[in-house]
Amino acid sequence: MKRLRVFTYLAVLAGSFVAVAATSAIAADHVIKIGGLFPISGPGSYFGVQDKQGIELALDRINKTGVAGYTFEIQYEDSACAPLPATQAAKRLIDEYKPDVLIGEECSDATLAVMPIVEQAKIPLINAGSSSIKVTDPGNPWTFRIMPNEVMQGVDIATNAYKRLNARTAVLLHENTNAGIGNANVFADTFTKLGGKVLADIGFGRDVNDFTAIATRIAGIGDVDVIPTYTLEGQGLKITQALMQAGVVKGGGGKAIQLGTIWLPFGFEHKAGNAAIGYIRIVQFDPTDQRPLVRDFVEAFKAKFNTDPTHINAHAYDQIMLIADVVKRGGTDPQSIRDKLAATKGFAGVTGTVEFDKSNQNVEMDTVHYMETKPDLSWVSLKWN
Amino acid sequence: MTGIVLQQGINGIVIGSLYVLVALGLTLIYGVLVQINFAHADIVTLGAFTAYAVTHFLGQSYFAGIAVALAVGAVLGWLVNATIFSPLRDRGNELLPLIATIGVSIMLQNAMLALLGPIPYAFETPYSNLVIRYGGLFLTVQNVLIVVVSSVSIALLYGFMKFTFLGKALRAVAQDRETAGLMGINPNHLIMLTFVIASALAGMGGALLGPVLVLTPFAGTSVIVKAFAIVIIGGFGNIEGTILAGLLVGLIESFTTQFLDPGLIDIVVFALLLLTLAVRPTGLVAEKREENV
Repeated sequence: MKRLRVFTYLAVLAGSFVAVAATSAIAADHVIKIGGLFPISGPGSYFGVQDKQGIELALDRINKTGVAGYTFEIQYEDSACAPLPATQAAKRLIDEYKPDVLIGEECSDATLAVMPIVEQAKIPLINAGSSSIKVTDPGNPWTFRIMPNEVMQGVDIATNAYKRLNARTAVLLHENTNAGIGNANVFADTFTKLGGKVLADIGFGRDVNDFTAIATRIAGIGDVDVIPTYTLEGQGLKITQALMQAGVVKGGGGKAIQLGTIWLPFGFEHKAGNAAIGYIRIVQFDPTDQRPLVRDFVEAFKAKFNTDPTHINAHAYDQIMLIADVVKRGGTDPQSIRDKLAATKGFAGVTGTVEFDKSNQNVEMDTVHYMETKPDLSWVSLKWN
Repeated sequence: MTGIVLQQGINGIVIGSLYVLVALGLTLIYGVLVQINFAHADIVTLGAFTAYAVTHFLGQSYFAGIAVALAVGAVLGWLVNATIFSPLRDRGNELLPLIATIGVSIMLQNAMLALLGPIPYAFETPYSNLVIRYGGLFLTVQNVLIVVVSSVSIALLYGFMKFTFLGKALRAVAQDRETAGLMGINPNHLIMLTFVIASALAGMGGALLGPVLVLTPFAGTSVIVKAFAIVIIGGFGNIEGTILAGLLVGLIESFTTQFLDPGLIDIVVFALLLLTLAVRPTGLVAEKREENV
């Protein structure tokens, strides 16, 4: 009897070991590997830091229970917001990590450089921060963009500038990159077709630090209603301050209104100070949005990082949540993830809704939120969409 | 149009003064050691962050920030030379210290990145947005400070090099290190002094540049390329030439922005550099190299 009992214990113990081992093997296999291509160094590295925060929060939440039996892990590579490091980073990730899906980059030039590599490797890439139309036009079956492209943003903001702000003259300020030039061109085309006049189109390199000379030139042009500006945060800050010092924009006693699209994070206005008063810009994420999904994200983000989320945090969070949604719908390897992504309909993210057209561009415009900086440096949502 | 030209002239002198301050340290080291110091840019950045920390975290005045940045630059210059450059120079290989400057640069950049993060800092001083307006011209008090502090520093350095015993000794080392040694001058002490002065200038330059630059751990890199160009245009190791070239580059930037396109600034500046190398390879203020410093 005693021998039988010992045998039973051993059998149960062995069975447990087998079960645990089998479960572990399944768990180890049931992992969705995400490759993250983000700028960790260089002038665009503020994107990477904030992207990581959004991703970290999303992974914390979905890995608590997993999705359809899958857990998620990510490996980052520094793509540095530039074509060459981005292609090197993408190749490293694909060759060594063998991801099921990639997310990133933020800068259009880097994303455009990576697209042929992901197409060749047949791994889907979800992009949330590159606005150049070339990313989805003519398109690449493996690249998906969840943010509005430069045409969607540019046509909208130029129309609003002309019709709602009664702007008739504009000076364009942009960095000399695909995204900078593309955004400025779309604004100029729409604005002039409506009857507005572009008084100057001023492009500059990312190495320019002092914008006093540019502000002086704009001050000398005369009556400028709006100044659409397309730069990264650091240069954007210096431009806004220089325009104030030159007395061009509202914050400096002038009449011109700076306009912007999805380039500058929440918090920019606090760094720029009074120079940002009157700045109107599109943001991809409205932290005052009252949808329960957004309130839940804002609260969770504050609890984890002790600060308000930016649009960069939000769109990185949405990228992971979109992958989770795809896995829930049965996408578990690169090909099926790509197919399920393409079939996405009405995915509700914290930045807005996602639904792709044939070129894999998100067609929903509720990711466009207009914000104006008030004299106390707070934001007010203009509800133009 | 006269007002615009005058305003751009002022803008050019302000940014040119900053370039001079950064380039002088480079030219000083080159003049004495015939060595290019790639880590200079990062001492500029460190100076900017030091002044930022003193004003924003310790609540001290901006002038205290400039003074501390100068001191930190000087100490770092001493430390880096004593621990890295000097031992490598003693091995007699000229390439080793040059490569070491690249190593120090990367190390400093990444240390600042790890400590301070990549998100741009807004370095506001009480003078950044105080604007003086007169007859259509404008100038921030910060810019006035930049020109005044730069001019005083340049004048002091010039006076030190021309009229003091130590300055003369430095020039002697630049002319002929061995002969200077035979005359009772300790070249190693004077090389150390060169690094200390150059790095102090870089630290102070950073404190003045901080409110102008997009302040990240990579901030100095954007300025240093221009500073190298200025050193070459001015004449390797020539202080007067560096001052002239720095102001010239500042003015070229402003007027290129006004009358051509800011996207062409680098093309114009580096075209001038190539032209200088082709037509006047010894620089704008050409002298024999031994007399440069």
